[in-house]
Amino acid sequence: MSETLAQLGKYAEEVGTKVTPLRKNESTIEVSQDRLKAFVAHLVNDLHVRHLMTITGLDLGQNLGIIYHFSMERDTIHVRTTVPKAKPEAVSIIDTVPGAILYEMELHDMFGIEFIGNPWKDQKLLLPEEWPADLPPPLLKTTKADQIRRRLGLEAAKP
Amino acid sequence: MSTPPNQQRREESAGLMEYSTESLVPFGPIHPALKEPEYFKLVLEGERIVNVIPRIGYVHRGLEKAAESRPWVQNMYMFERTCGICSFVHSLCYSQAVEELTMYQVPRRAKYIRTIIAEMERIHSHLLWVGLMGHWAGFDTLFMWVWNDREVVLDLVEAISGNRVHKSMNAFCGVRKDMPENMEDRIIERMKFLTDRARYYREVIDTEETMLKRTENIGRVSADTVEKLCAVGPMARYVGFKRDVRLNDPYAAYDEVPLDVITTTQGDVHALLRLRLDELVASANMVAYAVKNLPDGPIRVKIPPIIPAGEHSSHCEAPRGEIFYFVKSSGGRTPDRVKSRQPTMANLPTALELLKGQTLADIPIVLTAIDPCFGCMDRMSFYDTETNKRWTWSGEELRQYGINYYFPERAKKKSGIKKAIGPPTNQYPREEF
Repeated sequence: MSETLAQLGKYAEEVGTKVTPLRKNESTIEVSQDRLKAFVAHLVNDLHVRHLMTITGLDLGQNLGIIYHFSMERDTIHVRTTVPKAKPEAVSIIDTVPGAILYEMELHDMFGIEFIGNPWKDQKLLLPEEWPADLPPPLLKTTKADQIRRRLGLEAAKP
Repeated sequence: MSTPPNQQRREESAGLMEYSTESLVPFGPIHPALKEPEYFKLVLEGERIVNVIPRIGYVHRGLEKAAESRPWVQNMYMFERTCGICSFVHSLCYSQAVEELTMYQVPRRAKYIRTIIAEMERIHSHLLWVGLMGHWAGFDTLFMWVWNDREVVLDLVEAISGNRVHKSMNAFCGVRKDMPENMEDRIIERMKFLTDRARYYREVIDTEETMLKRTENIGRVSADTVEKLCAVGPMARYVGFKRDVRLNDPYAAYDEVPLDVITTTQGDVHALLRLRLDELVASANMVAYAVKNLPDGPIRVKIPPIIPAGEHSSHCEAPRGEIFYFVKSSGGRTPDRVKSRQPTMANLPTALELLKGQTLADIPIVLTAIDPCFGCMDRMSFYDTETNKRWTWSGEELRQYGINYYFPERAKKKSGIKKAIGPPTNQYPREEF
């Protein structure tokens, strides 16, 4: 275990969570939404884990999962957090990691998660601007490809 | 009722003025080909760019959603179609993430073959990029030379895998095809040829006035900005960061093959040209080493079609930078979730930062410099905040504008490339395998 990970483990214990090693060089940490911003700030500013690879969204049934994939030298650190599906609001981390802006917009398009603090959170990134408001976000498990096709009038394109 | 054209134009202009507070940056994660739909809105002050608003997503094909209803193996060949240039590395990264979930190990020979194909892909991608840079700078001769040399490495890829671009070489825990016999000498000979040519092109870009004038001191950005914006690949290395997945988290056979990570601190487009040509030489050396030291043994392990439940991620160094795949399985025949992130997505915030403050004539060069998968500059619309003028240019008109801006004497003469350095004397004979 590298020095950064050891320090991170110590800090994780302080805030009441723990580092779970997945495999060599890869570990995951569960952080609650209200602690996330401070946790990421500590990770980036104090431990110098600066490179955010991307943010992944997950449909976990009742909740939506958000995973921030950080990498530093040999270590990959997954910071996991969840938000309720009924109220999909998450804190934005772009003031600590400016490079996260497009990834947060992508998650907003694909999962409907609002990132509070992201100045572009209401803009479309990947979905067309004419995407109907009554269609649910496309990457939710409950959204079926047929439903999207029917709503957008694309039946003719179906083979 | 339709709006009168004048009023409509005014409304659009008003919208653009709002954009100058940087309010809209849409971008799609999938870049299948160089000539792909892409639309930029540029806000100018005289000649200088003050803001850029790209609009993309035209070619977003919903691969992540599609992956959830397809078998594991089928997905590998689907994700290979993400990009039409760096296709192999996508399937490699996806299969590595899946292999982590199984208990099986990849045979050593397969790891070496993967390395060889991945490095050949890097060579052909970098050559393609150098050619395009020549084209946009107004040095089409370089474009012709370089793309002719690219055929040398594409022929090798075709001889090994059967295809030029979509190699379909990967299988879970191995590769589908073994290296053909008696290829070793031919590969080494061609790698030596490409090394010589890359050195020659370095000489060209360092001495040829066309390239120097168009690339030196263009596209400067501070190392701190690059780090904050999480840029990857050559875009991180050209300001001095040693950010390379092959070095930081070795995959395939990169822990055994001697690796030379090139960085520069010069930090302009000219540095990117040098860096990519040097990387090309490093890749050619790696291919030659891997071919010479190719171990014997099986090339793949058969695995059952059901992947055990779990989550894993994998990242690889594509020619354009780090690509990332995250895979979640619930123990079924199809994945629960696949996430893929392409290097252009990670480099886009940096590219927008690079464009600000440049002149109109530098747009093609700077945008091509990040090696995006969009070379198609068609349908650019311009808006001058000083004169409130608005117009649209095609990519070719923009290219010509850039050339005339730097070399006004060429606008009169039809061809005016000064031959500072002669054409390459050695031509590689094309042959059928």
